[in-house]
Amino acid sequence: MRTYDAMNPAAVAVQLLLTACITVFCMEPLLLGVSLCCAVGCFLMRSGAGHKGFHLFALGIPLLFALLNPLWNQHGTSVLFFINDRAITKEALFFGFVTGLRLAAVLYWFRIFSDLMTSEKLFYLLRFLSPKLALVFSMAVRNLTLFRQQMRKIQAAQKGLGLYREKHLIDDVRGGIRVFSVLITWALENGIVTAASMTARGYGTGRRTSCTNFRWKRQDAVLLLCTLLFAGVVIVCISRGSLDREFYPVSVPPEHGFCWYTAIAAYTLLALLPVLHEGKESLIWYRLRSGI
Amino acid sequence: MLVIRSERIRHILGTALPFAVMPALVLLLPVGVQAEYYALVSFLMVVLALLLFLSGFERKELGTRRMILVSVMTALSVIGRLLPLLKPITALTVLSALYLGKEAGFLVGAMSAVLSNFIMGQGPWTPFQMLAWGLIGLFAGIVSAPLRRSRILLYGYGLLSGAAYSMLLDVWTTVWTYKEFTLHEYAGVLVTALPYTVLYAVSNLLFLMIFTKPVGDKLTRIQKKYGL
Repeated sequence: MRTYDAMNPAAVAVQLLLTACITVFCMEPLLLGVSLCCAVGCFLMRSGAGHKGFHLFALGIPLLFALLNPLWNQHGTSVLFFINDRAITKEALFFGFVTGLRLAAVLYWFRIFSDLMTSEKLFYLLRFLSPKLALVFSMAVRNLTLFRQQMRKIQAAQKGLGLYREKHLIDDVRGGIRVFSVLITWALENGIVTAASMTARGYGTGRRTSCTNFRWKRQDAVLLLCTLLFAGVVIVCISRGSLDREFYPVSVPPEHGFCWYTAIAAYTLLALLPVLHEGKESLIWYRLRSGI
Repeated sequence: MLVIRSERIRHILGTALPFAVMPALVLLLPVGVQAEYYALVSFLMVVLALLLFLSGFERKELGTRRMILVSVMTALSVIGRLLPLLKPITALTVLSALYLGKEAGFLVGAMSAVLSNFIMGQGPWTPFQMLAWGLIGLFAGIVSAPLRRSRILLYGYGLLSGAAYSMLLDVWTTVWTYKEFTLHEYAGVLVTALPYTVLYAVSNLLFLMIFTKPVGDKLTRIQKKYGL
């Protein structure tokens, strides 16, 4: 069984980025609602229950924006009531809600993106751009953990010397600066040693080959094709203006024609690709297992 | 893949992009592009500028040592966080640019943005942050001679770059919130973000004051000792 995060990072990244980007640049409430629902679905499927704080925060945003936008925004014609002589309009309320919906959906998609695209997958993608840059990037990621460990050692040494007292703000900051300064010296020297050892092993002398754990399989090609097809349909519909919506002065929904339905359907499929993939895989898994 | 082979074209792009992309992004687009596509176009332009710049790196003869030092400075600027919200990314980016060159400055800035966003959360703003920090490093590298000579100019650059960073990201905030870019709305966002602008500028100044002497000395020493 090949779960969604075991797919080729290139295909996964294209799917997630296109889904998120369409959400960012579209203001049709239904499409945003679909986007949010699918994102929540994908998130729950991957991360399971829990993360209550994040859900509460993200799903509260539309309500918060709906309440806050009318306070600043005086556009719109249908006045609901007045607060301190300021008109609260239905349109402003609605616009705030839709903006919040968009933000919540994008937050979910990027949370999924961060969970799925770990740094080693980004490293894999970066290789297409420039292998040298990918090397620098992966070394920087590795340095993060290395430097944290070294920082702890330096702190212990400083404490042993009696130079470093906790629970005192000024001492804490000064101690922090001193530890960081020691760390910089060590890190630069260590970097030079790494460079010397790389040169000694022949880095930069000729063409280099590389190896990766990520393969490009037929499933990945299918996923990429589906992504491009669905996203292409949605983008064509958006660029023809069939999802444009006026919010002020009166909220005018776009004409619900063929284009509108096609766009919504295509977007639903695009956003559901991770769920569909996992569903298909577990179905096959279940059928094979029951056959044995 | 996306490597520009001609030395001259790369050189022209490398110098023209920062000077052409930024003004175009801020000034020309609202005139030339329909309002509803402004967000999309500006996003794509930023990504394109980053791709072009980063792909040029493949052909640069940076040397193994300098390459490693770039990764070291990147990691340092991400973990060197004394208080939450305050990060020495700008200060260390500027210092790397002064001592290791303008490409190194761009890379340290851009990569620090990606890496620190692994902790703080990635989003559509990541490319803007990458470009903003990258450009701060690049410009510092271009004017490195006077900045290395005069401490006052360096502090001025720190203040200015903090403000510029905040203002560039406000372009994105405006586009993101209003789906279009007008000077009126931009001014509104600038005023709202004023506390952050001041915070960035002052923290840059503070970090430069703390770090310039020790980090500068250390980098000079490394350069002298190993002949970079």
